Amino acid sequence: MRTMIRSLSALSMIAGASLVACGGGDSSSSSTTSVTPTGSNVLSVVVDSGPSSNSFNTLYTTVTICVPGSTTECQTIDNVQVDTMSYGLRILGSVLTLALPVAHATDGNSLAECTTFADGFSWGPVASADIQLSGESASAVPIQVIGASNFAAVPAACSATGPTEEDTVATFGANGILGIGVFEQDCGSGCASNANSGFYYSCTATACAQIAVPLTSQVLNPVPLFATDNNGTLIDLPSVASPGAATLTGSLIFGIDTQTNNASGTQTVLTVDPNSGDFTIVFGGQTLTDSFIDSGSNGIFFNDSNLTQCSSSDYSGFYCPAASQSFSATLTGVNAVSATESFTVDNAQTVATNDPTFTVLTGLAGTFTSDLETFDWGLPFYYGRRVATAIELHSTAVGTGPYIAF
Amino acid sequence: MRKPWTRNLKSSCLTGSLLIAGILPFQAHAALGEPEASVATDVQQFQASVKSTLHASYRVHEIQLPSGTLLREFAVPGGNVFAVAWKGPAVPNLRQALGQYFDVYVGAAKLKRGGRTHIEVHQDDLIVQSGGHMRAFSGRAYLAQAIPAGTSTAELH
Repeated sequence: MRTMIRSLSALSMIAGASLVACGGGDSSSSSTTSVTPTGSNVLSVVVDSGPSSNSFNTLYTTVTICVPGSTTECQTIDNVQVDTMSYGLRILGSVLTLALPVAHATDGNSLAECTTFADGFSWGPVASADIQLSGESASAVPIQVIGASNFAAVPAACSATGPTEEDTVATFGANGILGIGVFEQDCGSGCASNANSGFYYSCTATACAQIAVPLTSQVLNPVPLFATDNNGTLIDLPSVASPGAATLTGSLIFGIDTQTNNASGTQTVLTVDPNSGDFTIVFGGQTLTDSFIDSGSNGIFFNDSNLTQCSSSDYSGFYCPAASQSFSATLTGVNAVSATESFTVDNAQTVATNDPTFTVLTGLAGTFTSDLETFDWGLPFYYGRRVATAIELHSTAVGTGPYIAF
Repeated sequence: MRKPWTRNLKSSCLTGSLLIAGILPFQAHAALGEPEASVATDVQQFQASVKSTLHASYRVHEIQLPSGTLLREFAVPGGNVFAVAWKGPAVPNLRQALGQYFDVYVGAAKLKRGGRTHIEVHQDDLIVQSGGHMRAFSGRAYLAQAIPAGTSTAELH
């Protein structure tokens, strides 16, 4: 049960780092049939139990990276999480077998990054790699190697963001993360103009100091770097019967309105804040201005003091209503376009224990502090939908990013 | 509902530090649970600018960090800092802002996790709530017993 909770709470928990497993993700079968998109811009994605068979609602894919310019020094890495609320590719050093060149800061020293998440931080050098995702490729892309061995120790200012260092596969919860959200860089202009942003460091073998980093040297979302199909992505997942399924396979489609398989159609387009990527969700009388839809969150997180929380510490932070409850919430973009969407909250403990094979939980929901004004609509939002993420400054047939559409 | 009387002290990093340090005795430690004067240490450590506003039962020191994140420290005038809150593109140096409570936060967080975009810790008197994602973080930490009477936690953000 210990691993069960940590899987639920922390996206996924992988026991024991292993050297890279090459050649694709786990085989899986979806619970429903649907037309599977095909094409050189389609990457297969899967919700499954992950590398150590204990993840929930975690979307994985497989990426191929190469030493820049090489067609032979390449590595295929599976169990890379697909995340629409971060930007750039990050690989755990423990699974990386390639010798990638470390990027240089403007002072000539090695460039490193302190990547913060709400629940912890990840530290490691920026390296250069060619990235291959299905038929799309980008050359010499700055990526982060998290927890690289033989690199300068975590700076005090990085660990001071607390609380937890996530520099191993076990603590990070995946072999890597593919950040394909609405922004081109993981930090942006703040890090280009300001040394003390808290993101980037110039490192010698033993010491690191914060430094400003030009936009093009920051860790970059690879999608806008593709030659084509570079204005955004679609995540296309089949529907799942409540309360869940063992696994689910779907597609990550590159480009929006660039091919016959990625047309916007009649999607609802919600533009998002050009600095934060957030928009407003009104739920239960609360107007939550810092809300987001996030393929990297494993549940639906919001505040409802009337909903029963799980009593078992194994499910701490999740909701456990006696009977499933239905809700609706209104999503409003910066462009004032609104959509009202419904969702169901199931008893997390009951569903997870009744069918231990489930890794897809349609009604998994948990708390989010009310005063932080956030509704975090995680992976369950994507089940049975095509969700578009349009990148800042890039246009599609229905608008200009940053926007999300569904 | 209460319209606070406000007094704005907008200043650069250096004068901000001097202003506060001049009013109150200097303290070497960081803010939460420490005397109000420790705010000056944070301003200095963060190389930030500060704006202080007096409300009915507390004073808010708004520290604009170089990262673009706004750190707000809530203190009983002449008393102790009872809350800190932050919002912006980067998580601030919480070891500095939480002071002696940082280690409590880290210890408690290891035992209780609420997902990558959210963490909430209740440890004795200390409550820490942290949320957000790359480029947009917010959170707060407060000492529940130290909140002045008549002050709602909803004000602490």
